Amino acid sequence: MIRSVVLSTMLLVACALAQSAWFGGIAVLGVTPDLGLIVLIWLSYMNGLVAGPISGFLSGFAEDFLSASPLGFHAFIKTAVAAAASLLHGSFYIDKLLLPVILGFAGTIAKALAAGALFLLFGSKVHAYSLVERTIWIEAAYNGLLAPLAFLLLGPLRRLLATERRRG
Amino acid sequence: MVDQTPSAGTRGRSAVAPILLAASLLCLIVSTRSLEGVPESLGLSILGFFQRGFSDVGEFVSDTFASISELRRLRENYDELSAKLERYTNMERGLADLREENNRLKEQLGFSQDIAYQRIAARIVAKDPENLYSTITIDKGFGDGIRKNMPVIAFQDGIEGLVGRIVEVGAGTSKIVPIYDSMSFVASRLAGGSRTEGLVGGQGSPEYPLLMRFVKKQAKDEIQFGDLVATTGYESVYPSDVAVGRVKKVRVLDYQTSIDIELDPVLDFSRIEYVFVVKPPVADEGDSR
Repeated sequence: MIRSVVLSTMLLVACALAQSAWFGGIAVLGVTPDLGLIVLIWLSYMNGLVAGPISGFLSGFAEDFLSASPLGFHAFIKTAVAAAASLLHGSFYIDKLLLPVILGFAGTIAKALAAGALFLLFGSKVHAYSLVERTIWIEAAYNGLLAPLAFLLLGPLRRLLATERRRG
Repeated sequence: MVDQTPSAGTRGRSAVAPILLAASLLCLIVSTRSLEGVPESLGLSILGFFQRGFSDVGEFVSDTFASISELRRLRENYDELSAKLERYTNMERGLADLREENNRLKEQLGFSQDIAYQRIAARIVAKDPENLYSTITIDKGFGDGIRKNMPVIAFQDGIEGLVGRIVEVGAGTSKIVPIYDSMSFVASRLAGGSRTEGLVGGQGSPEYPLLMRFVKKQAKDEIQFGDLVATTGYESVYPSDVAVGRVKKVRVLDYQTSIDIELDPVLDFSRIEYVFVVKPPVADEGDSR
């Protein structure tokens, strides 16, 4: 499991670096997709309650260094989303299109809710999404659309990243 | 007989996420109470190295593709330019005479080319990985003389505009909070006749206009669409008279004693590649890393 956690964390940090350095060019109305979140959801769904949240926590921590957010902000959000996704571990079969879209969209909303919870606790010291502004909805739609492709590309890496072998 | 009580292993696995969430909250509690910023700076120094690497790789790939099409265009231009070169060679002599005359006239007019403040040029290498925050990362850090709270400006279409200020400094990279961030506030005034002052803040995205608040209501008749708003420089980290934005809309609410003005930033943040970090005058320089 340690190898899986290390590789997953490295992949998530690489996603965060790619997002910060390259994704400005594919922004829609100034909003970029969160590839790291989609990958995290896939990893958490595959790996369950331990590996997913640990990878989410570590990569979120790295993201805090790249962002102006207070230390622990992204770590909390990514851990919370990973924990939520890992609760679905093994519950159903992930198809090629519909479920990835739903997971990408719902994961983004879960991220917004986690940020909202922190805003309630810490007030203006942290940022939160506004559900009446377009940013969160554009990001959720963007992540939803990107998720099927990301899940497809992650398939061949399953042997490296998944803690358990596929059954059945 | 089947034991249905959860095993120690299952309980342990279930406890991982709550423990990590608690650790995250602990970090937040510490960091929002303004710890010295050392962990952030250290993390930025390490990850900034990789961030610059990613930026360089991206630039290399895009440059390579651009070079292929550029090569074809250059071949066409070559023939055209060869013809022009002959013509310009003849013009050169005349230009040298004009330049000499221009220098003489400048001297007579007492034209000064002194720069008001020292600047450190830097390239933007990355932006915030998430949409919630709006950090800009540049390729200069502590070793290049960058310090926390230094103002950052940029030139675009002949205008010197305010970009933001440095909030974190790493060894080779630094983070800027731009003026459109919702945590950014700049003391500014209308550069026109009224010279009315206010506080300009962002709304979290360059897609949304800047908001100038606390502007005296009496000034509303003097404000025109397109008026320039610049920094005041009073007790501020920003130098004075750096352009911030242009008046887009004036909001007057009866129950408020002041008016709000929506501004279009003078800089198009999506096109900025290079910025200048402004060094404070030597006498006032303090290391506030």
